[in-house]
Amino acid sequence: MTIDFAFIFEAFKEISKVLPLTLFMTITPVLLGIIIGVIVAFVRIQQTKFFTPLLNFYVSFFRGTPIIMHIMLVYFGVPFIVDVLAKALKLNVQSSSIPIIFFVLLALTLSAGAYASEIIRSGILSVPKGQLEAAYAVGLTFSQAMRRYILPQAFSKSIPNFTNVFIGFLHATSLAFFLSVKELTGVANIVASKNLKFLEAFIAVGIIYWGVSAIVEWLAHRLEKKVTAYNKGGI
Amino acid sequence: MANDFDFVLIAKILPILLQYLPVTFEILVFSILFGILLGIGIALPKLLHINVLRQIITIYISFIRGTPILVQLFLVFYGIPALLMIVHIDVTRMDAMYFVIITYTLSNAAAFAEIFRASILTVDRGQIEAAYSVGLNGTQAFVRIVFPQALRVAFPNLANTMISSLKDTSLAFSIGVMDMVGRGETLIASTTRALEIYLALSIVYYVIVMLLERVFKSNERYLNRYMPKEAVSS
Repeated sequence: MTIDFAFIFEAFKEISKVLPLTLFMTITPVLLGIIIGVIVAFVRIQQTKFFTPLLNFYVSFFRGTPIIMHIMLVYFGVPFIVDVLAKALKLNVQSSSIPIIFFVLLALTLSAGAYASEIIRSGILSVPKGQLEAAYAVGLTFSQAMRRYILPQAFSKSIPNFTNVFIGFLHATSLAFFLSVKELTGVANIVASKNLKFLEAFIAVGIIYWGVSAIVEWLAHRLEKKVTAYNKGGI
Repeated sequence: MANDFDFVLIAKILPILLQYLPVTFEILVFSILFGILLGIGIALPKLLHINVLRQIITIYISFIRGTPILVQLFLVFYGIPALLMIVHIDVTRMDAMYFVIITYTLSNAAAFAEIFRASILTVDRGQIEAAYSVGLNGTQAFVRIVFPQALRVAFPNLANTMISSLKDTSLAFSIGVMDMVGRGETLIASTTRALEIYLALSIVYYVIVMLLERVFKSNERYLNRYMPKEAVSS
């Protein structure tokens, strides 16, 4: 067996056609996850009696189990819940009409929310309390202080972590392959089985993931430079 | 799929899945041990600024960090037999377990190398100079002064890598390893109860991760025992 280099290029062209879908499957969960994360982080910092333990469990469960489990639990669990609810409420909804990609997006969003909330929480906690007091001293309200001082600083400190989460979820989309979603890995597998050239197809898909990850890292680095431009340290 | 949820089934399959826990731990322990050794090996050229080797290792680490573990698994599974075929060694019948351990070792090594490098660089250069001044040689200075301090810094990151590596083992079934998830898949085929079985698997992973986190936390406290209290607790 020799490696067919020409086929790597062929496979590369074929597989990269579904790159937009993979990017969509990455960006949507991460953005929604950040929204969930902000809410969860605030509730956990506030220490309410009921919601804080509940959200603590949410975060620790999603961080403590493999993402493939989240995808499978949502894929099998949500239709089950939908069917039970539809039966109880006599609604004309059928779980089989839900597209598979919805389950993947939902699972990845829930997962991203748990990871994002930890990042945002540590970001907020990393801003010295004196900043909030200083904002109060010049007459800002809590929400103004949060929006104008604390959150911008928290976010600028969290950029490297968010980059990791983004790349992590770009890689997690490869798990949708197990549900036969035609994203990068899924298509790589199809191309591989059709031509019986597995190694070449997976080299091609590896290069695509690698390239996208490198671009994301480069962009994040530039963004980080921009948002920390005003923070050059003491000297 | 039947329209009811079987709690009893979860209780029934948990012991079956737990029988396969040693397989998961075997993958984890070997890939972490080899990963640490290889990680130290590839951290050295970067720390010692050996030129060509350093660049190759930078590419290697960037590739591992830039691709999904699933793709790495397939690359090793199809790539190693192809590579060995060039020198006329046939490993196509080799146990899938070896490919899994090789993949996770390669993946962990990249993470460990970066952790070691960063943590050794956090130790102040003056510490080595101080060690020399009291008459220690290079090896002694590293083993007795630099390494313990670097380990303290590295430990939380090492613990995180080990935990995410444990979660990554859940993909070993995709190339045919009979671990917990692999056994779960066969149970799904025979019982058609996917939700219950994935729930049981999640519970097992969750409990192990919680236990590991507890063990790592107490270890971390032990490593930090000489640190001033304020700096550690805040």
